[in-house]
Amino acid sequence: MLNMKKAAGFVAVPVLISMLAACGSNDSSSNGAKESASKGVQKVKLTMIESLSSPKRTEFLQQSIKEFEAQNPNITVELITPPLESADNKINTMLSAKQTLDILEVRDITVKQFVNNGYLENLDSYASQWPDYGTLTPGALTMAKDVDNKAYYIPYGIYQRQLFYRKDLFAEKGLEVPKTWEELYEVGKKLTDPAKNKYGYSYRGGAGGEQYITQIVQDYNGSNVNPKDSVFNNDGSSIFSTPGAVDALEMLKKIYKEVSPPDSANWAFAEQVQGFTSGTTAMLIQDPDTIDTVATSLDASQWGTAPLPTGPSGVSHFVLGAAGWGMTNYSEHKEEAWKLISFLSSPEQNLKFAKTSGVIPIHTTAGSDEFFKTGAYAPYIEMGKQPEKYVGVKPFTNYQGYALYKKNGTEKGQAFIMGRTGAADFAKEFDEFWKKEKANDKG
Amino acid sequence: MSTQATTSKSSRKSASALWFILGCLAPAIVLVLGFTYYPMLRGIVMAFQNYTLFDLTNVHFIGFDNFKEVLKSDNFLLALKNSFYWVVVSLVLQFVIGFGIALLLRKQFFGRGVYQGMIFFPWAMSGFLIGLIWRWLFNGQIGVINDLLIKIGIIDMPIAFLSSPSWGMFAVIVANVWYGIAFFAIMLLAALQSVPEEIYEAAAVDGTNRLQKLFLITVPYIMPTILTTVMLRVIWITNFPDLIYSMTNGGPAGSTHILATFMMDKILYGGEYGQAAAVGIIMMVLLVLFMFFYFSASKHEKAGDF
Amino acid sequence: MTDKRSAGERIVRILVMAAFLIVVIFPLYWMLITSLKPKKDIFSLPIHYWPKTLTFENYENIFKITKFHIYIINSLVVSLGAALVVLTISTLSSYVLARFKFRGSSQVMFFFFLTQVIPAFIGFAPLYLMMSKLNLVNSLSGLALVYTVMAIPFSTIMLKGFFQRVPSSLEEAAQIDGCSRLGALVRVIMPVMLPGLSATFIFSFVQNWNELFFSVMVIDSEKLKTIPVAMNSFITKFDVDWGSMSAATVLSVVPTLILFALCQKLIVQGLTQGAEKG
Repeated sequence: MLNMKKAAGFVAVPVLISMLAACGSNDSSSNGAKESASKGVQKVKLTMIESLSSPKRTEFLQQSIKEFEAQNPNITVELITPPLESADNKINTMLSAKQTLDILEVRDITVKQFVNNGYLENLDSYASQWPDYGTLTPGALTMAKDVDNKAYYIPYGIYQRQLFYRKDLFAEKGLEVPKTWEELYEVGKKLTDPAKNKYGYSYRGGAGGEQYITQIVQDYNGSNVNPKDSVFNNDGSSIFSTPGAVDALEMLKKIYKEVSPPDSANWAFAEQVQGFTSGTTAMLIQDPDTIDTVATSLDASQWGTAPLPTGPSGVSHFVLGAAGWGMTNYSEHKEEAWKLISFLSSPEQNLKFAKTSGVIPIHTTAGSDEFFKTGAYAPYIEMGKQPEKYVGVKPFTNYQGYALYKKNGTEKGQAFIMGRTGAADFAKEFDEFWKKEKANDKG
Repeated sequence: MSTQATTSKSSRKSASALWFILGCLAPAIVLVLGFTYYPMLRGIVMAFQNYTLFDLTNVHFIGFDNFKEVLKSDNFLLALKNSFYWVVVSLVLQFVIGFGIALLLRKQFFGRGVYQGMIFFPWAMSGFLIGLIWRWLFNGQIGVINDLLIKIGIIDMPIAFLSSPSWGMFAVIVANVWYGIAFFAIMLLAALQSVPEEIYEAAAVDGTNRLQKLFLITVPYIMPTILTTVMLRVIWITNFPDLIYSMTNGGPAGSTHILATFMMDKILYGGEYGQAAAVGIIMMVLLVLFMFFYFSASKHEKAGDF
Repeated sequence: MTDKRSAGERIVRILVMAAFLIVVIFPLYWMLITSLKPKKDIFSLPIHYWPKTLTFENYENIFKITKFHIYIINSLVVSLGAALVVLTISTLSSYVLARFKFRGSSQVMFFFFLTQVIPAFIGFAPLYLMMSKLNLVNSLSGLALVYTVMAIPFSTIMLKGFFQRVPSSLEEAAQIDGCSRLGALVRVIMPVMLPGLSATFIFSFVQNWNELFFSVMVIDSEKLKTIPVAMNSFITKFDVDWGSMSAATVLSVVPTLILFALCQKLIVQGLTQGAEKG
């Protein structure tokens, strides 16, 4: 009897382990061709992963996928939705292990890296036979061919910033919507009353803060900025090298110190938008996907949108942010994967998607849609009509140093607005940084 | 294997003991070797390569360049210093309060079970969630802590806890202490309950007072647990970026970075796996040195027994 | 005089414990009332310490919008499964480390201690590759395996400490009575070890229950996700969905607290009863 017990103890462990192993193989076998056996027709399973997910967007995608599956009965699609924060990290991990994946969300900040590592299929040959390719907007086309002038992904929309303001707070003080950064500061000052916890502007000092530094510095460089290489001027010098850059930084610091909540030194997306919707701040510069969030928490009479503020010479810059759908180059079902990409990118689907997720649609045909002509999206049309004044620039995400700039720009930007470094030193440091990046990039 | 173990009569005793030892250790060692050490060794190699996600097509050995790059980084020394504060202050407070609670909970009282359950609850949440909650509580605009402090009358204006370099470290340490007390409380309580009553009875005859009892009898008896838990917590707190990461993201201006978040940053901004691995190795070396020092210093106390 | 002292002391003691409880419990209380507020009230100022209107819509939502009931089951399966396997494996390893003096025993302890020093990410990419090749990606068993491996060293170290406090005279007596080593371990030592075993079990369970990073990386399918991953998904680009987050927080701590409550009895009883039987 004692022997039995002893034996049981020794047996228990391996049994448990083998149980683990056994379930493992069960689960994974459902991944592939198992379903194909029953029917005569080969059933294809596509795996797709998204990155910038939101519950609403995921629900919409699921719906689109269902439509697609109804049209293509021999294809099933599994959509993977990782949490937003770790999505790109997960996509990278899956790609590097060549884990089953056919379609993936590619972003302006990830496309270069994916191409470098040879993960993405060049979509040029597919796109050339795609009837809807011709109606892509110039912005969408630019971003699709961002890397090496080859289409490595089809954008699902463009992210482009505008100014959000609180109509109610502006009306209270009888204020006009600012047209320049200078005016934004002046108007903001009138809206600021720290004792009542009221401030003019939702400053962004935390993660992503460097984008706002770049924007104002570009604006103070006026029409000199190279739209295709937007951290440099047309003459090849960096945007941080000019006297305008120092002025821009001083203005930014004033905006933080005098018209923004002290807490905003470490604000990111969420706090920035929350500050605006809660009524703490009266102005906010954000992407179109903010519209939905703002609209759900505020009454239509309480807020409005306007074109971005300009620099002293009357020029403003907006970054063409983009994300879209790409294909892995190791996909075993490329034809089917392209079918899905082109389905999702069709004018009809894309228009619906753009409305749901708050991006600017990729087809010129969408321009006639009332939804984008009126209301919160109207400033985009207005900005689009004055390309000299509102200059669309390509993000400079293709430099290896971009990631480091994001981190350092944010951290040093915080040190700067807190008065630990001067504007001139800050500008000089990043001028040198970008000079070095450019030299390395050519080499 | 099992037949060997059964013949544990007399002559084969040592041989069977050996088999018994091997049999019992094998599952643990094999699994840890295969799924922890092997991947780790593969990972460590990255520290000596130009391993960055931006371009993985040309990964090659670059000697100690990653270490040089890391040591040159602006915030490295600050992160090192912060790590030290983060570990020492969090640990001391967690231990002292946790031990105190364990002592208070040793004697049965009405509702002890419920009380125990409730104070252990911080341990039942994940680091990222705790960070998120405390980030909200400490918020400078809509935060509850500011609201309460104003209501009580301690302050007039809200403090920007998470956006000021002077308060940032304070805020994350408060959250960490809050989180970690439960570990010491539960571990030390379990150890305290294993102290046999007879020891105290014998001491009572000698007329020792309570403080003497605590330091002369209780503490020495549970010393192995104290030493091991403190050791583990030092390691864990050092390796615990989750909380700071979701509370302040290392900001503002890098003022709340510890080595662990500094390392995460290297990965999340630009996928600098090589440099991140270098930071990881620096952390491991520091911790291993600490372990050796710790164990040799506490040898006479029979710490961890090795 | 002694009476007076203990009465005053009792009050101090009660006050200290009450104060501590309030501090510890406040964030949970905050989550609880947040979960009962309608979405628009969550951030409204001035701050309300009790919901103006009570609602269960946040709870309804997480079950309607997400597959929360499935996540709970997944988390339970993975966490309990891994914790049980860990307990079995670590009991054996810690027992021999505590009871036998053999050559290399201190090296084995060091071997386990050293794993704690390793930052999780360092070996992650190679581990993921291994799991991908072994077909363990996107399976709960794969995740449980990772959790098991992560918890073995700590559990071994902890349990060894508990074993050392059990007088070896207990099992020697048992062995004289005719028990084999393993028999003595199971019949005599285990009951005495219940406090330590349950504490170790709780810790590895809780660790698994809350683990986020590996779960995000290893699991793809919606139907295999665990609670922390689902909760992490409530963080969207522009805000944290605190309505869902707080409801999920409240639901996710319940099993752990129940486990705590159950194991407390074991911790208390285990020692006294076990010792008497021995």
